[in-house]
Amino acid sequence: MSRALVLFAHPCPESFSAALHKTVVETLGAQGWEVDDCDLNAEGFSPVLTEAERRGYHDEGDNIAPVADYVARLRAAEALVMVFPVWNFGYPAILKGFLDRVFLPGVSFKLIDGKVKPNLTHIRKLAAVTTYGGTRMRALLAGDPPRCSVKRAVWHVCRPDKMRYLALYDMNRADDAKRAGFLARVTQEMEAF
Amino acid sequence: MRALVVYCHPRPLSFTAAVRDVALDGLRDAGAEVRLIDLYAEGFVPAMAADEHARYEDEELNQQGVEAHVADIKWCDTLIFVYPTWWYGMPAMLKGWLDRALVPGVAFEMPTAENATIRPGLQHIQRLGVLTTCGASWWLTRFIGAPGKRTILRGVRLLCARRCKTLYAAHYLMDSSTPESRAAHLATVARKMQTFCGRKVNGLEAMS
Repeated sequence: MSRALVLFAHPCPESFSAALHKTVVETLGAQGWEVDDCDLNAEGFSPVLTEAERRGYHDEGDNIAPVADYVARLRAAEALVMVFPVWNFGYPAILKGFLDRVFLPGVSFKLIDGKVKPNLTHIRKLAAVTTYGGTRMRALLAGDPPRCSVKRAVWHVCRPDKMRYLALYDMNRADDAKRAGFLARVTQEMEAF
Repeated sequence: MRALVVYCHPRPLSFTAAVRDVALDGLRDAGAEVRLIDLYAEGFVPAMAADEHARYEDEELNQQGVEAHVADIKWCDTLIFVYPTWWYGMPAMLKGWLDRALVPGVAFEMPTAENATIRPGLQHIQRLGVLTTCGASWWLTRFIGAPGKRTILRGVRLLCARRCKTLYAAHYLMDSSTPESRAAHLATVARKMQTFCGRKVNGLEAMS
Protein backbone atom coordinates (compact mmCIF):
# COMPACT_ATOMS: atom_id res chain seq x y z
CA MET A 1 0.00 0.00 0.00
CA SER A 2 1.26 3.46 -0.82
CA ARG A 3 1.83 5.79 2.04
CA ALA A 4 0.74 9.44 2.10
CA LEU A 5 1.90 11.99 4.65
CA VAL A 6 -0.68 14.70 5.29
CA LEU A 7 0.74 17.81 7.00
CA PHE A 8 -2.03 19.87 8.56
CA ALA A 9 -1.42 23.33 10.04
CA HIS A 10 -4.52 24.98 11.49
CA PRO A 11 -5.04 25.24 15.25
CA CYS A 12 -8.86 25.20 15.24
CA PRO A 13 -10.87 22.00 14.74
CA GLU A 14 -13.97 23.98 13.67
CA SER A 15 -12.14 25.85 10.87
CA PHE A 16 -12.74 25.39 7.16
CA SER A 17 -9.12 24.24 6.93
CA ALA A 18 -10.01 21.42 9.33
CA ALA A 19 -12.89 20.44 7.03
CA LEU A 20 -10.47 20.35 4.10
CA HIS A 21 -8.06 18.28 6.17
CA LYS A 22 -10.80 15.78 7.04
CA THR A 23 -11.82 15.51 3.38
CA VAL A 24 -8.23 14.92 2.26
CA VAL A 25 -7.57 12.23 4.89
CA GLU A 26 -10.88 10.42 4.28
CA THR A 27 -10.69 10.56 0.50
CA LEU A 28 -7.12 9.31 0.35
CA GLY A 29 -7.98 6.54 2.84
CA ALA A 30 -10.97 5.47 0.74
CA GLN A 31 -8.72 5.29 -2.31
CA GLY A 32 -6.47 2.79 -0.56
CA TRP A 33 -3.70 5.09 0.62
CA GLU A 34 -2.15 4.37 3.96
CA VAL A 35 -2.50 7.86 5.45
CA ASP A 36 -0.07 9.24 8.00
CA ASP A 37 -2.12 12.12 9.38
CA CYS A 38 0.20 14.70 10.93
CA ASP A 39 -1.74 17.49 12.67
CA LEU A 40 1.15 19.75 13.67
CA ASN A 41 -0.79 21.76 16.25
CA ALA A 42 -2.42 18.71 17.84
CA GLU A 43 0.96 16.96 18.01
CA GLY A 44 2.45 20.04 19.66
CA PHE A 45 5.19 20.38 17.03
CA SER A 46 7.68 23.10 17.94
CA PRO A 47 8.51 25.22 14.89
CA VAL A 48 11.53 26.90 16.46
CA LEU A 49 14.91 25.80 15.12
CA THR A 50 17.09 26.07 18.22
CA GLU A 51 20.61 27.39 18.60
CA ALA A 52 21.95 23.84 19.01
CA GLU A 53 20.08 22.69 15.89
CA ARG A 54 21.47 25.63 13.92
CA ARG A 55 25.02 24.74 14.97
CA GLY A 56 24.56 21.11 13.93
CA TYR A 57 22.48 21.88 10.85
CA HIS A 58 25.03 20.68 8.29
CA ASP A 59 26.18 17.56 10.18
CA GLU A 60 24.32 15.04 8.06
CA GLY A 61 23.16 12.08 10.09
CA ASP A 62 23.43 13.74 13.50
CA ASN A 63 21.29 16.70 12.49
CA ILE A 64 18.12 14.59 12.41
CA ALA A 65 18.33 13.57 16.09
CA PRO A 66 15.95 16.24 17.48
CA VAL A 67 13.28 15.43 14.85
CA ALA A 68 14.09 11.77 14.02
CA ASP A 69 10.46 10.66 14.21
CA TYR A 70 9.31 13.33 11.73
CA VAL A 71 12.20 12.51 9.40
CA ALA A 72 11.20 8.82 9.44
CA ARG A 73 7.61 9.73 8.58
CA LEU A 74 8.75 11.96 5.74
CA ARG A 75 11.08 9.27 4.38
CA ALA A 76 8.29 6.68 4.44
CA ALA A 77 5.98 8.82 2.30
CA GLU A 78 5.27 8.34 -1.39
CA ALA A 79 2.87 11.26 -1.42
CA LEU A 80 2.91 14.54 0.50
CA VAL A 81 -0.19 16.67 0.97
CA MET A 82 0.08 20.01 2.77
CA VAL A 83 -3.19 21.42 4.14
CA PHE A 84 -2.89 24.96 5.54
CA PRO A 85 -4.38 28.44 5.56
CA VAL A 86 -2.28 31.24 4.04
CA TRP A 87 -1.59 33.84 6.70
CA ASN A 88 0.17 37.09 5.81
CA PHE A 89 1.19 35.71 2.41
CA GLY A 90 3.00 32.76 3.87
CA TYR A 91 2.68 29.45 5.67
CA PRO A 92 1.50 29.48 9.27
CA ALA A 93 4.67 29.55 11.40
CA ILE A 94 4.15 25.96 12.54
CA LEU A 95 4.37 24.69 8.94
CA LYS A 96 7.30 26.94 8.05
CA GLY A 97 9.03 25.46 11.10
CA PHE A 98 8.52 21.96 9.70
CA LEU A 99 10.53 23.00 6.64
CA ASP A 100 13.17 24.69 8.81
CA ARG A 101 13.63 21.76 11.21
CA VAL A 102 12.75 18.58 9.27
CA PHE A 103 13.69 19.38 5.64
CA LEU A 104 17.36 19.12 6.60
CA PRO A 105 20.52 18.61 4.57
CA GLY A 106 20.76 14.85 3.99
CA VAL A 107 16.97 14.53 4.36
CA SER A 108 15.28 16.72 1.79
CA PHE A 109 18.33 17.81 -0.14
CA LYS A 110 22.03 17.13 -0.55
CA LEU A 111 24.52 19.90 -0.99
CA ILE A 112 26.90 18.73 -3.71
CA ASP A 113 29.52 21.27 -4.79
CA GLY A 114 27.37 23.96 -3.20
CA LYS A 115 24.36 22.99 -5.32
CA VAL A 116 21.04 21.75 -3.95
CA LYS A 117 20.30 18.21 -5.17
CA PRO A 118 16.81 16.75 -4.57
CA ASN A 119 16.69 14.00 -1.96
CA LEU A 120 12.96 13.37 -1.49
CA THR A 121 12.49 11.74 -4.87
CA HIS A 122 10.53 8.88 -3.26
CA ILE A 123 7.68 11.41 -3.02
CA ARG A 124 6.00 10.88 -6.37
CA LYS A 125 2.94 13.00 -5.72
CA LEU A 126 2.81 16.40 -4.11
CA ALA A 127 -0.23 18.54 -3.31
CA ALA A 128 -1.14 21.65 -1.37
CA VAL A 129 -4.69 22.42 -0.27
CA THR A 130 -4.94 25.99 0.94
CA THR A 131 -7.12 29.04 1.51
CA TYR A 132 -6.30 32.73 1.15
CA GLY A 133 -8.13 35.52 2.99
CA GLY A 134 -7.43 37.94 0.15
CA THR A 135 -8.28 37.78 -3.53
CA ARG A 136 -6.22 36.12 -6.24
CA MET A 137 -5.27 39.58 -7.51
CA ARG A 138 -3.99 40.57 -4.09
CA ALA A 139 -1.92 37.40 -3.88
CA LEU A 140 -0.50 38.08 -7.36
CA LEU A 141 0.45 41.61 -6.31
CA ALA A 142 2.48 40.10 -3.49
CA GLY A 143 4.00 37.54 -5.87
CA ASP A 144 2.04 34.71 -4.21
CA PRO A 145 4.89 33.52 -1.94
CA PRO A 146 3.23 30.29 -0.67
CA ARG A 147 2.52 29.15 -4.24
CA CYS A 148 6.18 29.75 -5.15
CA SER A 149 7.33 27.94 -2.06
CA VAL A 150 5.29 24.80 -2.73
CA LYS A 151 5.46 24.67 -6.52
CA ARG A 152 9.13 25.55 -6.79
CA ALA A 153 11.01 25.06 -3.50
CA VAL A 154 9.27 21.92 -2.21
CA TRP A 155 8.75 20.65 -5.77
CA HIS A 156 12.46 21.09 -6.43
CA VAL A 157 13.50 18.60 -3.71
CA CYS A 158 10.81 16.01 -4.60
CA ARG A 159 10.64 16.24 -8.42
CA PRO A 160 7.23 14.52 -8.28
CA ASP A 161 5.35 12.99 -11.23
CA LYS A 162 2.22 14.80 -10.15
CA MET A 163 1.78 18.21 -8.54
CA ARG A 164 -1.47 19.90 -7.53
CA TYR A 165 -1.86 23.34 -5.94
CA LEU A 166 -5.48 23.72 -4.89
CA ALA A 167 -6.32 27.17 -3.56
CA LEU A 168 -9.48 28.96 -2.54
CA TYR A 169 -8.98 32.73 -2.65
CA ASP A 170 -11.01 35.48 -0.99
CA MET A 171 -12.02 33.23 1.91
CA ASN A 172 -13.18 36.20 4.00
CA ARG A 173 -16.11 36.70 1.68
CA ALA A 174 -16.70 33.11 0.54
CA ASP A 175 -20.24 31.83 1.04
CA ASP A 176 -21.38 28.28 1.77
CA ALA A 177 -21.77 27.48 -1.92
CA LYS A 178 -18.24 28.58 -2.75
CA ARG A 179 -16.79 26.61 0.15
CA ALA A 180 -18.82 23.52 -0.76
CA GLY A 181 -17.62 23.85 -4.36
CA PHE A 182 -14.01 23.93 -3.23
CA LEU A 183 -14.52 20.91 -0.94
CA ALA A 184 -15.98 19.02 -3.90
CA ARG A 185 -13.00 19.98 -6.05
CA VAL A 186 -10.57 18.81 -3.36
CA THR A 187 -12.44 15.51 -3.04
CA GLN A 188 -12.30 14.99 -6.79
CA GLU A 189 -8.59 15.79 -7.00
CA MET A 190 -7.78 13.48 -4.08
CA GLU A 191 -9.80 10.67 -5.68
CA ALA A 192 -7.73 11.06 -8.83
CA PHE A 193 -4.50 11.45 -6.87
CA MET B 1 12.54 58.81 12.68
CA ARG B 2 11.35 55.98 14.91
CA ALA B 3 12.80 52.65 13.84
CA LEU B 4 11.74 49.20 14.94
CA VAL B 5 14.27 46.47 14.18
CA VAL B 6 12.93 42.91 14.36
CA TYR B 7 15.88 40.56 14.66
CA CYS B 8 15.66 36.79 14.41
CA HIS B 9 18.58 34.39 14.69
CA PRO B 10 19.19 31.62 17.24
CA ARG B 11 22.96 32.18 17.52
CA PRO B 12 24.15 35.32 19.31
CA LEU B 13 27.43 35.40 17.35
CA SER B 14 26.01 34.81 13.90
CA PHE B 15 26.78 36.92 10.84
CA THR B 16 23.15 38.04 10.99
CA ALA B 17 23.92 39.63 14.38
CA ALA B 18 26.73 41.59 12.72
CA VAL B 19 24.31 42.77 10.02
CA ARG B 20 21.89 43.84 12.76
CA ASP B 21 24.61 45.88 14.48
CA VAL B 22 25.52 47.66 11.24
CA ALA B 23 21.84 48.49 10.74
CA LEU B 24 21.51 49.79 14.31
CA ASP B 25 24.62 51.95 13.85
CA GLY B 26 23.19 53.33 10.62
CA LEU B 27 19.94 54.24 12.35
CA ARG B 28 21.70 55.92 15.28
CA ASP B 29 23.96 57.86 12.91
CA ALA B 30 20.82 59.15 11.23
CA GLY B 31 19.54 60.31 14.59
CA ALA B 32 16.71 57.79 14.78
CA GLU B 33 15.07 56.57 17.93
CA VAL B 34 15.49 52.82 17.88
CA ARG B 35 13.67 49.86 19.40
CA LEU B 36 14.97 46.32 18.98
CA ILE B 37 12.99 43.09 19.23
CA ASP B 38 15.18 39.98 19.55
CA LEU B 39 12.71 37.15 19.01
CA TYR B 40 14.93 34.25 20.08
CA ALA B 41 16.28 36.09 23.12
CA GLU B 42 12.81 36.82 24.41
CA GLY B 43 11.57 33.30 23.64
CA PHE B 44 8.75 34.46 21.40
CA VAL B 45 6.18 31.71 20.71
CA PRO B 46 5.50 31.66 16.97
CA ALA B 47 2.64 29.16 16.69
CA MET B 48 -0.76 30.77 16.98
CA ALA B 49 -2.84 28.86 19.52
CA ALA B 50 -6.44 27.77 18.91
CA ASP B 51 -7.94 30.24 21.43
CA GLU B 52 -5.89 33.04 19.91
CA HIS B 53 -7.13 32.17 16.44
CA ALA B 54 -10.70 32.11 17.76
CA ARG B 55 -10.43 35.78 18.78
CA TYR B 56 -8.31 36.80 15.77
CA GLU B 57 -10.97 39.00 14.22
CA ASP B 58 -12.07 40.53 17.53
CA GLU B 59 -10.14 43.82 17.58
CA GLU B 60 -10.80 44.25 21.31
CA LEU B 61 -9.13 40.95 22.20
CA ASN B 62 -6.76 39.96 19.42
CA GLN B 63 -3.75 41.82 20.86
CA GLN B 64 -3.71 39.74 24.05
CA GLY B 65 -0.26 38.31 24.64
CA VAL B 66 1.43 40.54 22.04
CA GLU B 67 0.56 43.98 23.50
CA ALA B 68 4.18 45.18 23.66
CA HIS B 69 4.82 44.14 20.06
CA VAL B 70 1.68 45.89 18.86
CA ALA B 71 2.71 49.05 20.73
CA ASP B 72 6.09 48.96 18.96
CA ILE B 73 4.44 48.49 15.56
CA LYS B 74 2.13 51.45 16.18
CA TRP B 75 5.02 53.57 17.43
CA CYS B 76 7.44 53.12 14.53
CA ASP B 77 7.65 54.83 11.15
CA THR B 78 10.48 52.58 9.98
CA LEU B 79 10.41 48.78 10.18
CA ILE B 80 13.45 46.62 9.44
CA PHE B 81 13.62 42.83 9.52
CA VAL B 82 17.00 41.15 10.03
CA TYR B 83 17.00 37.36 9.59
CA PRO B 84 18.61 34.41 7.82
CA THR B 85 16.66 33.02 4.86
CA TRP B 86 15.83 29.36 5.48
CA TRP B 87 13.93 27.41 2.89
CA TYR B 88 13.63 30.55 0.78
CA GLY B 89 11.66 32.21 3.54
CA MET B 90 11.94 33.78 6.95
CA PRO B 91 12.46 31.51 9.97
CA ALA B 92 9.24 30.14 11.49
CA MET B 93 9.97 32.30 14.55
CA LEU B 94 9.68 35.48 12.47
CA LYS B 95 6.75 34.21 10.40
CA GLY B 96 4.96 33.62 13.70
CA TRP B 97 5.59 37.23 14.69
CA LEU B 98 3.81 38.35 11.51
CA ASP B 99 0.97 35.90 12.18
CA ARG B 100 0.45 36.93 15.80
CA ALA B 101 1.31 40.65 15.89
CA LEU B 102 0.06 41.88 12.50
CA VAL B 103 -3.58 41.27 13.45
CA PRO B 104 -6.78 42.90 12.16
CA GLY B 105 -7.24 46.38 13.63
CA VAL B 106 -3.45 46.80 13.83
CA ALA B 107 -2.01 45.90 10.43
CA PHE B 108 -5.16 45.87 8.33
CA GLU B 109 -8.95 46.08 8.38
CA MET B 110 -10.99 43.05 7.42
CA PRO B 111 -13.44 43.33 4.51
CA THR B 112 -16.93 44.46 5.49
CA ALA B 113 -20.21 44.93 3.66
CA GLU B 114 -19.14 48.51 2.79
CA ASN B 115 -15.49 47.75 2.06
CA ALA B 116 -15.05 44.82 -0.26
CA THR B 117 -11.36 44.32 0.21
CA ILE B 118 -8.70 44.19 2.91
CA ARG B 119 -7.61 47.75 3.79
CA PRO B 120 -4.13 48.71 5.00
CA GLY B 121 -3.48 49.67 8.62
CA LEU B 122 0.26 50.41 8.62
CA GLN B 123 0.17 53.65 6.63
CA HIS B 124 2.31 55.31 9.31
CA ILE B 125 5.22 53.10 8.17
CA GLN B 126 7.26 55.10 5.64
CA ARG B 127 10.27 52.81 5.39
CA LEU B 128 10.37 49.01 5.21
CA GLY B 129 13.56 46.98 5.07
CA VAL B 130 14.80 43.39 4.76
CA LEU B 131 18.39 42.46 5.62
CA THR B 132 19.05 38.78 5.12
CA THR B 133 21.44 35.99 4.17
CA CYS B 134 20.69 33.16 1.73
CA GLY B 135 22.33 29.76 1.47
CA ALA B 136 21.21 29.61 -2.15
CA SER B 137 22.64 31.59 -5.05
CA TRP B 138 21.05 34.71 -6.45
CA TRP B 139 19.92 32.68 -9.48
CA LEU B 140 18.30 29.86 -7.49
CA THR B 141 16.61 32.38 -5.20
CA ARG B 142 15.23 34.18 -8.26
CA PHE B 143 14.09 30.88 -9.79
CA ILE B 144 12.18 29.94 -6.63
CA GLY B 145 10.74 33.47 -6.57
CA ALA B 146 12.22 34.63 -3.25
CA PRO B 147 9.02 33.90 -1.30
CA GLY B 148 10.42 35.27 2.00
CA LYS B 149 11.40 38.59 0.49
CA ARG B 150 8.02 38.82 -1.25
CA THR B 151 6.08 38.10 1.93
CA ILE B 152 7.58 41.24 3.47
CA LEU B 153 8.51 43.61 0.65
CA ARG B 154 5.32 42.96 -1.32
CA GLY B 155 2.84 41.45 1.17
CA VAL B 156 3.52 43.63 4.22
CA ARG B 157 4.38 46.51 1.87
CA LEU B 158 0.74 46.53 0.67
CA LEU B 159 -0.26 47.53 4.21
CA CYS B 160 2.26 50.39 4.59
CA ALA B 161 2.29 54.00 3.40
CA ARG B 162 1.61 54.42 -0.30
CA ARG B 163 5.08 55.79 -1.02
CA CYS B 164 6.84 53.59 1.50
CA LYS B 165 10.56 53.41 0.80
CA THR B 166 12.09 49.93 0.75
CA LEU B 167 15.50 48.46 1.50
CA TYR B 168 16.80 45.01 0.57
CA ALA B 169 20.26 43.55 1.04
CA ALA B 170 21.17 39.85 0.97
CA HIS B 171 24.42 37.95 1.18
CA TYR B 172 23.89 34.98 -1.19
CA LEU B 173 25.76 31.63 -1.11
CA MET B 174 26.29 32.08 2.61
CA ASP B 175 27.71 28.56 3.06
CA SER B 176 30.71 29.40 0.88
CA SER B 177 31.15 32.95 2.19
CA THR B 178 34.63 34.26 3.01
CA PRO B 179 35.80 36.90 5.50
CA GLU B 180 36.15 39.23 2.48
CA SER B 181 32.66 38.58 1.12
CA ARG B 182 31.18 39.09 4.58
CA ALA B 183 33.08 42.33 5.16
CA ALA B 184 32.02 43.56 1.71
CA HIS B 185 28.41 42.76 2.51
CA LEU B 186 28.53 44.65 5.82
CA ALA B 187 29.89 47.66 3.91
CA THR B 188 27.02 47.33 1.43
CA VAL B 189 24.51 47.23 4.28
CA ALA B 190 26.08 50.35 5.85
CA ARG B 191 25.89 52.19 2.51
CA LYS B 192 22.30 51.14 1.83
CA MET B 193 21.31 52.17 5.36
CA GLN B 194 22.53 55.70 4.64
CA THR B 195 20.37 55.97 1.53
CA PHE B 196 17.46 54.33 3.32
CA CYS B 197 17.64 56.76 6.23
CA GLY B 198 18.05 59.80 3.97
CA ARG B 199 15.48 62.53 4.30
CA LYS B 200 14.36 62.33 0.72
CA VAL B 201 11.60 59.74 0.70
CA ASN B 202 9.66 60.35 -2.47
CA GLY B 203 12.37 61.20 -4.99
CA LEU B 204 14.57 59.00 -7.12
CA GLU B 205 16.71 58.01 -4.18
CA ALA B 206 13.77 56.01 -2.93
CA MET B 207 14.23 53.63 -5.85
CA SER B 208 17.64 52.38 -4.77
